[in-house]
Amino acid sequence: MRILALVKYSFDIAELRVNPETEELRMRGVPERFGDIDKNVVEAAVRLKEEHGGTVRVLTVGGPAARTALKEILAMGVDDGVFVVDPFEGGGQPSAMVDILEAAIGRSGQFDLLLCGFASDDGYTSQTGPRLAERLSLPLVSYAQELSVAGDVLTATRDLKDHTQGVRVVTPAVVTIAEESFTPRSVTLLDAMKAQKKPVEDLTVEELGLEVEALEARSEFIELSRKGVVVRRRQEILKGEDQDVLADRLIDVLVRDGVLFEEA
Amino acid sequence: MAECILVWSDDDSLLAELLGEASRLAVPGEQEVGVCSLGAPSDVDQQRLASLGADVVYVLDAKADSPGLLVAGLTAAMAEVPAGLFLIGATRTGMEVAPRVAERVGAGYAPWTTGIQLEGSDRQLIASCMLFAGFGRAVCRYGSGPTIVTSALGVFEAVETVRDTIRVEAVGAKEVDSRVEIVEEKAKDAAAGLEQARVIVDCGKGIRERDDLEMVRSLAQVLDGELACSRPLSSDRDWFADWLGLSGTKVRAELCLTLGISGAVQHVVGIRESRVVAAVNNDPDAAIFTQADVGVMADLYEFVPALMERLKARHIRSSS
Repeated sequence: MRILALVKYSFDIAELRVNPETEELRMRGVPERFGDIDKNVVEAAVRLKEEHGGTVRVLTVGGPAARTALKEILAMGVDDGVFVVDPFEGGGQPSAMVDILEAAIGRSGQFDLLLCGFASDDGYTSQTGPRLAERLSLPLVSYAQELSVAGDVLTATRDLKDHTQGVRVVTPAVVTIAEESFTPRSVTLLDAMKAQKKPVEDLTVEELGLEVEALEARSEFIELSRKGVVVRRRQEILKGEDQDVLADRLIDVLVRDGVLFEEA
Repeated sequence: MAECILVWSDDDSLLAELLGEASRLAVPGEQEVGVCSLGAPSDVDQQRLASLGADVVYVLDAKADSPGLLVAGLTAAMAEVPAGLFLIGATRTGMEVAPRVAERVGAGYAPWTTGIQLEGSDRQLIASCMLFAGFGRAVCRYGSGPTIVTSALGVFEAVETVRDTIRVEAVGAKEVDSRVEIVEEKAKDAAAGLEQARVIVDCGKGIRERDDLEMVRSLAQVLDGELACSRPLSSDRDWFADWLGLSGTKVRAELCLTLGISGAVQHVVGIRESRVVAAVNNDPDAAIFTQADVGVMADLYEFVPALMERLKARHIRSSS
């Protein structure tokens, strides 16, 4: 089983801050790391390899910090990596990033499964897997939370909102991994040391036969402005020792706000 | 901008809202509002779709449970009609099929849209889209070609019209075999209707034992509300099938009462569209107090029984 796993070095959006006056999104100093969902993807890939043999290769597009952090991903039991320098430094449009991934996947050679997160931790728009499935003319199994393989048949459980769905597909296929599935393993010091020696192929978009200007020319949209979302709440605080009094005060506030009603 | 604005969702409430927005955008006499419907023409509720603002129903011969066939059907509809703008509901299935149809048609794609304007004589699409899972918003101008937009429940408003005539047309997809075979469907035992609930009682890590859920469940009953939780109570402790937040369900209740919720941003995203947020926490520094209209600094184990007692004694209801 040859598995190609796509991972993304992402902003930790829990650390995003918005200036309440200007509504400006403060991106400076927001930590970045390979996303939680991306680690679920790698875990899913490595588990399949452990059960069925084969290889796991990771592919990512990013900057120098992502190149360094890729070792953490390799340490999870991945065989090798492909690293493409992001010509847009994180600012590329989703369609352009898919152009780059498509070219890198084509160069990487045959695979049985292409795994990626159902969404990235930061962008969260769920486009990469579906778009790549179309580009590669492969079947797509989305939101997978369980995977098993027998020969060239993949069986998966899809996590849909109010139900789960068991599906079967003949590989090669594209699979997107659901959140909260495939809890990533912890990595030992030995794993981390071994990862230092694992091969990573470094590529530029030019080496993939693409031109940055041509990628830019295919832009789907022009961003006119961006803002942080500021939710303004009253932040009224109630405190006191007597719980009954406190309860009455909360009820009074909620009646005044028109969300609770007192019988006349 | 072509002559048709097309709409599809696998969620009926969301479909109604998208039809409302499509009717608002369509130029009377110049543009039609079309809705995609799956299955047999006889299954189409023509009167309902007409009253929601649709001029024409495109009946696709595809099953809703097979995304591959759905993509083929929606692609055929968008290309054959042809539609310049296609509004798709941002459900799980919607978020999978929208970028796939965009790839096949060669359309632009505006995900998680929170507002749409068509500007100028060529009616260019200006879309406001969520950034970083809702922490920000970007306003983007799309090109003159066809564009697909996805929007979540609660963004747009449904309309009721008196119109009762509607055309029905069939659209045939080229692909009829799905490469992904469905072998099993299993319902989850998730609490239904969190998105529609007027009152949400939202539990966090401050709830110490599983047995303590009885107490908060009683409170939810007194308030005629639904019980919900933050992610750790679902994914780590496995007490709930579903959670509120960035990766879970997003609610828009009249009242969201949080109990022992610390206020991590990933969770707050799931409740912040609620009209009133009230928080109970014993930690004065809990972030939830900055995200709430009213905060009660108290031990929830002492406060919740007192609150239930007072709600009952004062005959408080959550509907007028």
